[in-house]
Amino acid sequence: METIKAKLDETPFQTAGPFLHIGCMPNAIKINKIYQNDLGEIPFKDKQENELITIEGSVFDGNGVALDDVMIETWQCDEKGQFNEDSGFARLIPNNITKKFTLKTIKPGSYKGFDRKTYSPHVSLSISARGLNMTLNTRVYFEDDELKNDPLLSIISLDNVNSLIAKKIKKNSYLFDIFLQGDKETIFLDI
Amino acid sequence: MNAKSLIKRNYEKHPEIDFPDYKSSIFRAPKNRKISFPSSNTETIGPIFNKNIIGKLDNDLTLNFSKNKISPLGHKIIVYGTVSDQFTNPIKGALIEIWQANAAGKYLHDNDENPAPIDPNFAGCGRCLTSSSGYYEFLTIQPGPYPYPNRGIEWRPMHIHFSIFGKSFGQRLITQMYFEGDPLIKLCPMVNSIRNEKAKNSLIGVLDTSKSNTKNLLAYKFDIVLRGIKQTYFENRKEGL
Ligand SMILES: [Fe+2]
Repeated sequence: METIKAKLDETPFQTAGPFLHIGCMPNAIKINKIYQNDLGEIPFKDKQENELITIEGSVFDGNGVALDDVMIETWQCDEKGQFNEDSGFARLIPNNITKKFTLKTIKPGSYKGFDRKTYSPHVSLSISARGLNMTLNTRVYFEDDELKNDPLLSIISLDNVNSLIAKKIKKNSYLFDIFLQGDKETIFLDI
Repeated sequence: MNAKSLIKRNYEKHPEIDFPDYKSSIFRAPKNRKISFPSSNTETIGPIFNKNIIGKLDNDLTLNFSKNKISPLGHKIIVYGTVSDQFTNPIKGALIEIWQANAAGKYLHDNDENPAPIDPNFAGCGRCLTSSSGYYEFLTIQPGPYPYPNRGIEWRPMHIHFSIFGKSFGQRLITQMYFEGDPLIKLCPMVNSIRNEKAKNSLIGVLDTSKSNTKNLLAYKFDIVLRGIKQTYFENRKEGL
């Protein structure tokens, strides 16, 4: 029941541009004097190495070139499927040699949503860069989970759904590449 | 328990993603339609940020990088406003991070090829959390306009980049504030990627001279609106009942 109407328009997006590190991750570009730590360095504190999984990948443009000026933000629940407002957030930029981003986090649990449907474990991503007039949103699911009843995945056609599923490359380690354009273009969400 | 859901984005009031006048978008903007899906818990609960991350000078860009309290070059300005949601509710504790060029139009960044001088007393980096009434304020200097390669060399209007977190990941916003009266605004392809005039104008900080006498400062007011979150109460029932 949509009884309440919005009174104001959302402020429009503009590109984050090529210098977003200054505002969002200054320590990563050696502006060390101002903030003690960059935001989102560690998504969950006090976790042991053996509790963590790794998700790595690159963000490719339409020429197949891996971006090195992109920022990826991630947000997720804990292993029990609980969202804690103050933990679960991370910010990543690609390594300037390998052009890969690496998220070290705990594997999220599945959860029952407000709609009473069960969501398979996933990490939510927000992608910002020069050339992107709006931040892009997508989700990472995991190939070794039960996925067929997930409410989002079940509305996406089979040929496309793979772009949202991280491949397991070894124990506790997943690959998730993002394609901005081309045959393998990732599914982005209006969510 | 309260079920939360975000109201849908109106893409007519946002920039076009695939906008070739902005050259960098040509090989980066996705070509397919987005998949529309109702927000769930992931998009409506957090993250929120604790005030203990904020340092005393984090919102004073004139001092947070200065050596021996030497002011950066350029004239000082206050940039202020409120963060609210689409239902006009102020958002308390919203995290605002800003970044900008110095008075000469140069960023403190290795990838900035503009042959303008850096300012040793200015990093162009600031952040704050909004107050209980959604208010925020930065003290900074007027950023310069700058040239950049696009369709040939073009000039960006003076601007400050804004990143905002409200109460949830689905409210995440990254944008730019422009300055009232800047003739470069109407020439900028990034601004013009927003087709709707009213939406475009909402990114222009409004000049406020009321602080010029007391503080010797020009001020610009920039109010920010994040997506509305609807809350509906429902009983925690067991399945099938
Ligand atoms: Fe800029």
